[in-house]
Amino acid sequence: MLLLDYHNVLIHSLLTERFSGSTPVSIDQIVSDFDGVTFHLSTPESKTKILISIQVKCFRELVQYGAQQVLEREYGPYIVDPEPGYDFSVLIDLENLPAEQEAKDDLIMRLALMKRNAMAAPFERAFDEFAKLSEEASRYTTESAPQGVKEGGEVMAIHYREEEAMYIKASHDRVTVIFSTVFREETDRIFGKVFLQEFVDARRRVLTLQNAPQVLFRNDPPLELAGVPGLQNVNDGTLSYVTFVLFPRHLTPQRRYENISHIQIFRDYFHYHIKASKAYIHTRMRKRTADFLQVLNRARPENEERERKTASGRTFRVQG
Amino acid sequence: MSTSLRPYLQCVRSSLSAALAISNFASQTSERHNVPEIEAASSPELLLNPLVISRNYDERTFIEPSVNSVRVSLKVKQADEIEHILVHKFARFLTQRADAFLILRRKPVEGYDISFLITNFHTEAMLKHKIVDFVIEFMEEVDKEISEMKLFLNARARFVAESFLTPFD
Amino acid sequence: MSQLNYRTINIDVLDPDSSINFPMDTLLPATLPPPTTSSAAASVASEVRQLLRGGDPEGALRHVLDTAPLGGDDRAKEVHLAAVTEVLQGIRQGEMSRVLEGVCTGDGGAERADCLMKYLYKGMASPVSGAGGAQSPRKSVSPQGTGFSQIQGRNLGEGGGGQQMSVLLSWHEKLVELVGTGSIVRVMTDRRTV
Repeated sequence: MLLLDYHNVLIHSLLTERFSGSTPVSIDQIVSDFDGVTFHLSTPESKTKILISIQVKCFRELVQYGAQQVLEREYGPYIVDPEPGYDFSVLIDLENLPAEQEAKDDLIMRLALMKRNAMAAPFERAFDEFAKLSEEASRYTTESAPQGVKEGGEVMAIHYREEEAMYIKASHDRVTVIFSTVFREETDRIFGKVFLQEFVDARRRVLTLQNAPQVLFRNDPPLELAGVPGLQNVNDGTLSYVTFVLFPRHLTPQRRYENISHIQIFRDYFHYHIKASKAYIHTRMRKRTADFLQVLNRARPENEERERKTASGRTFRVQG
Repeated sequence: MSTSLRPYLQCVRSSLSAALAISNFASQTSERHNVPEIEAASSPELLLNPLVISRNYDERTFIEPSVNSVRVSLKVKQADEIEHILVHKFARFLTQRADAFLILRRKPVEGYDISFLITNFHTEAMLKHKIVDFVIEFMEEVDKEISEMKLFLNARARFVAESFLTPFD
Repeated sequence: MSQLNYRTINIDVLDPDSSINFPMDTLLPATLPPPTTSSAAASVASEVRQLLRGGDPEGALRHVLDTAPLGGDDRAKEVHLAAVTEVLQGIRQGEMSRVLEGVCTGDGGAERADCLMKYLYKGMASPVSGAGGAQSPRKSVSPQGTGFSQIQGRNLGEGGGGQQMSVLLSWHEKLVELVGTGSIVRVMTDRRTV
């Protein structure tokens, strides 16, 4: 498992089972996802009506950037009033499902991708804005472009975790996505640096990655974020800013859906692999330690009396 | 193996063999005590001249002999902060298992990464030349292990980065 | 005085009869050579340099070891160490065994061997002089660097002072081969330090 899934596997498998026509049962389950997102799956009225609610830390920010519209587009007929304590809810009636299997699968997948869809709103807005700006910009030469077109759109900040945020900014020739990420521990910080350096270098090193987004990282806020409120400028090395520059080729309508999903998963993917490397190194050290112990034990003279058996089964002692 | 590693290890081996000439010695400051004199340091005449063997500025071995105990401290090369963190983690890992290691000191001597404390009881229970073998092998292996872990980390990082960036295209 | 915590005072130090106050002077033999000063050591160094330049490495080493300032002050010892190191570095790899054999045999040869052993350890213990010593052991990976260079072997470059140490290490190896580990034991036990 190298790349992480975009959807929530637990919700996916749960709904697949429910949708397959088995006898309805009552459900009351809380499911966690990355970035502190919580789902609540329940059957409050009857066993055939499943209520799925999602709670996202930065939902208010997402709504500001058009999350409601995106969610309405995805889940239109199923939307109900949000369950108290949650930000968004849909109600699925098992007796009223689409008939074809394909449509069912599609619905399951869409529901499992609820987090992705909620978080996708600012990206979609940025991509749209890019399209608009690039069209506008094509009407001007570089010098004569009015201020708004040259500068690009506003920076959209999404504080999706306690101390970490995502910033998205559209320009006429690119969309910049910046992640701020915190390393609690010295080890994580250094491992993170090694990983990030490889992200930066990968594009230059590998020919087939020439078209990948450009990645940059630094410990102080990048220039794009100048003037964004709420930025802590503590330069003790625990905070890193990772910038992805998405070029027009990544922003085409065909690539758009996939790339939004993919860039969202970056932070989790990145941290997941740091943890995995740490775990591997730990196993290695454990093994090496066992080897060392063996070497040390070789230093003990073997003079304990050992009992041995002859072929006929009698025991005898080895004379030291 | 790099050319200068062999004489370094050879030198540690001969110095350590010489230093391990230790015998039982009851404390002369407190009755019915028998403590490693190198740790107690209560009688200066029982401590011998310490020896430093260095391969270069970053790789040193410090041998502190005394009448009934020898303290051996190693400084492992740390060329950058990845190696530093790996050495640090590894040393911590080992010292937390010091109970099983018998001769491992729970806390390294200041300025070094890992220390051994070998007393006369260890040399009585174990073969002396094998203890020396252990220390030498330890030095070799730690070096090798750190390099391998570092290479692994870089290779993994590279692979992970490329895998993430590939789907974009 | 009220701030002083009496529990943290090591009272043994204050007791003249305590073992921690063992008179270390009594461990030095009476035949210690008279104290020398750094200027005397400097003059020895120049004599030795002349011998070395005159193509007599064996004589140079013999002389520098015979005149070790066992009773000198720290400054004199340091100057002398520099002289010894210079001689050791001035002798080619191929000549080592021959020179050593000449120096460590004959009248007072064993003393010279022990003295050389002391200097080898002292040389390795002293902070590395020259450019290598000051180099910081940790170079951080600079962000946004040119890349490509993260993967590298650890044992490619010698750290600071590697050159000087490898000379001392090979002398050590040769000397142990010639006179055995006893010499190392004498370095540890001899209170007459160089």
